[in-house]
Amino acid sequence: MARLFALLFLLFAVSGVAPASDSAQTEQVQLKLLAEREAAIPGRTLWLGLRFELIPHWHVYWRNPGDSGEAPRIDWQLPDGWRPGNIHWPTPQRIEVGPLVSYGYEDSVTLLVPISVPPDQASGERVDIATDVSWLVCREECIPQNARLQISLPVAQGSDRPAPRNDFDAVRARWPVALPGHAAYLREDGKLTMRIEASGWHDKQPASIWLAPNDWGPVAPSQPQTWRFDKDVLVLSLPEGDAPLAEGASVDGLLVVNDATSGSTHGFTLSAMPFDTGSAPAGEPQVTLFLALGFAALGGLLLNLMPCVLPVLSIKVMSLVQHAGNRSAAHGLVFGAGVLTSLLALAALLIALRAGGTSLGWGFQLQEPWVVVALLYLMLAIGLNLSGVYSVGSGLAGVGQGLTESEGLRGTFFTGVLAVIVASPCTAPFMGTALGFALTRPPPETLLVFAALAVGFSLPMMLLGFWPRWVSLLPAPGPWMERLRNALAFPLYATAAWLLWVLSQQVGPSGLAGALTGALLLAFGLWWLGQPLRPRALRNVLAGALICASLALMVSAGAGAPARPEPFEHQSWSRERVSELQREGRAVLVNFTAAWCITCKVNEKVALSTDAVRQALDDRGIAYLKGDWTNRDSAISEELRRHGRGGVPLYLLYPPGQGSPEVLPQLLTEGLVLQALSRIEKI
Amino acid sequence: MLTRIAITTLLLALTTCADAALKIGDPAPEFTGIDTGGNKVTLSDFRGKPVILEWSNHDCPYVRKHYNSGNMQKQQQAATGRGAVWLSIISSAPGKQGNVTPARADALTAERKAAPSAVILDESGDIGRLYGAKTTPHMFIIDAEGKLAYMGGIDSIPSTNPADIEKATQYVPAALDQVMKGEPVTASVTRPYGCSVKY
Repeated sequence: MARLFALLFLLFAVSGVAPASDSAQTEQVQLKLLAEREAAIPGRTLWLGLRFELIPHWHVYWRNPGDSGEAPRIDWQLPDGWRPGNIHWPTPQRIEVGPLVSYGYEDSVTLLVPISVPPDQASGERVDIATDVSWLVCREECIPQNARLQISLPVAQGSDRPAPRNDFDAVRARWPVALPGHAAYLREDGKLTMRIEASGWHDKQPASIWLAPNDWGPVAPSQPQTWRFDKDVLVLSLPEGDAPLAEGASVDGLLVVNDATSGSTHGFTLSAMPFDTGSAPAGEPQVTLFLALGFAALGGLLLNLMPCVLPVLSIKVMSLVQHAGNRSAAHGLVFGAGVLTSLLALAALLIALRAGGTSLGWGFQLQEPWVVVALLYLMLAIGLNLSGVYSVGSGLAGVGQGLTESEGLRGTFFTGVLAVIVASPCTAPFMGTALGFALTRPPPETLLVFAALAVGFSLPMMLLGFWPRWVSLLPAPGPWMERLRNALAFPLYATAAWLLWVLSQQVGPSGLAGALTGALLLAFGLWWLGQPLRPRALRNVLAGALICASLALMVSAGAGAPARPEPFEHQSWSRERVSELQREGRAVLVNFTAAWCITCKVNEKVALSTDAVRQALDDRGIAYLKGDWTNRDSAISEELRRHGRGGVPLYLLYPPGQGSPEVLPQLLTEGLVLQALSRIEKI
Repeated sequence: MLTRIAITTLLLALTTCADAALKIGDPAPEFTGIDTGGNKVTLSDFRGKPVILEWSNHDCPYVRKHYNSGNMQKQQQAATGRGAVWLSIISSAPGKQGNVTPARADALTAERKAAPSAVILDESGDIGRLYGAKTTPHMFIIDAEGKLAYMGGIDSIPSTNPADIEKATQYVPAALDQVMKGEPVTASVTRPYGCSVKY
């Protein structure tokens, strides 16, 4: 007993170290204060670390020590204006002492703290940074210890890049990351059942999974937790702690997963909400079915004005007026039927593909390079027809040339189908929102939205069918019609050029060359078709051969290697990068875009690439990440789906530290972006 | 694999049974302990008076914070003076920190001028496990009808620094006050802090 007393006395005697240095030593612990860089920079974050090295079997505690114990406390003495941030805790271990469980660290742990240096800190001098650290170190018995540590650092110029003094990245690798799925909990008979979205984890064979709650109260540390997978959902059964949860309170904590194969441990921060408040992500757009139908109809109407669609429809209107006679109403309806059928078929295809597991969104058709080339050829072909290079005989789904009545109706139906096909590269305003909504809803609602789109799209034609007298406003037929036809070829060439630009982002230069050569062959073939040569059979065969060659090139162009990514001055999006940046104390602006998405490009030009926005991003240290969905990317598709969107664009603004993002509207203005950015504090 | 699960589940089930989660308002689990005088002390004997249970370990820095400063003794005197029963319970297993002989326990009580009604030696840890005592100190208040009215820490600042006692909210006197007035206790569950009980 006396020996024990003496030992304890000795331990207490050495537990406080008087002279101020950057390190302290006790019998159990070696503590050192470290700075990440050789100097502090005014206006930037300085990362400091406290490294605890422990003798075997002794431990210090996590932020929630568990059943017993005390987390280390750090009191900073900093120069004026310097602000310390929160301690960033690495993923802890479970430490069992008898029937009790604590959360803490054995062997060694480094606690990092971000210190923000004010921008007006005078450079060129040295500053003193001191800290009083107190902690509890235990094996079975516990010893409270404390130390005062001090370092002095020079202050560099704002433009300097001081050399790294200590490598903190290995420490940051032990930090928990944000959970990639949603978590919700249910309370019943003293147990908390937590359901966590965990697609893809099952095949990772975790050896153990447990939850470390951030605070005392909701979950009892020493009672057993069980876990199992229910398809793609991780189900945790947690024993309730002593403090009953308030209504609607969240359970915040760390999910600690031990990987069986590598033996490594990963931590995931989660915040689980009670089941009944629903699992809607914050900022989900409040688009109801009713609104989506309205948007779809309006979008469909505006689609008539898009350069890809307008020429086709204008020609059809003129031919209809000329040749339909008193069956114009029927033509109008049949056109509508053609549009409806093809849009519903497209929707059905999309639903089927999504049900089959492919993660798709609207615009998916343009993520395949060969589809882009096919549409390119189509635009070119129709454009050449309008330019008069060749003409399509009667009986085919043409663009209107002397159709007889019976063939007329069938022809009109197919014109409707064709109109939908040529419309696919173009997305009108409002259509994006409606379709994005539609693709996250159950199939009946999706089909309804597409039907609304069809109604909006075919409305002008149908109205003209019922009141053909409006078209009598047009001047009498004459040579002007031919000139108009030629002129209308150009919007189609413009669409073809745009598709070529999209293609250039998707495939490399050789793929592009292939597509251009194919286009050339196609043009040549079509011209040949248009020449009054004899014998017709030979002419047709030769033309056909050229067209086939161009098709072959189209396929090979489509399979071409993807283009090397442009050197971005922004970074590529990934979930991990977002968590990393947030942990560094930076806000993150994410822009999900695609080359073929016109709304995205307009937004970028008008609202994101302006000088004012760039300045605001710099001032507040906000990182800018781009998620490029030009080609198929399942990670991006999944992220879009998580936010209730079926397509791009999607703009997310993540706050620094931790937290869910603010979702910005799909149509951006510079003012809107600046306003959102201004809500982030200046660093 | 399956056997491992079975055995683990069985073992955990056993510990769970022993450590049933207590709730405020539940009847406090009945127990009989032996005090330092060798006498049997049964909880139900005190029906009609509030009973305070204090888990202790004289070597734990957190317990020393409250004894060296006189905080614990003051609360014991105030409580017993009002007619409540104060039981100090030592659940340290033989050989572990805090485990004392009856003579030693009495000597400590005298040295520290402590004023519990009795000091119960719970070497087997049965009473500790019955109540789910996790730390030293860990405080429980049972009302005159035998129902649990308070469980948790001694005060609101979990540290070993005696200077924190003045700044902290002392939970036990406040709760006892409400129990004796027959009112429901406002802060009935708080975070217990201290060293782990050395079962």
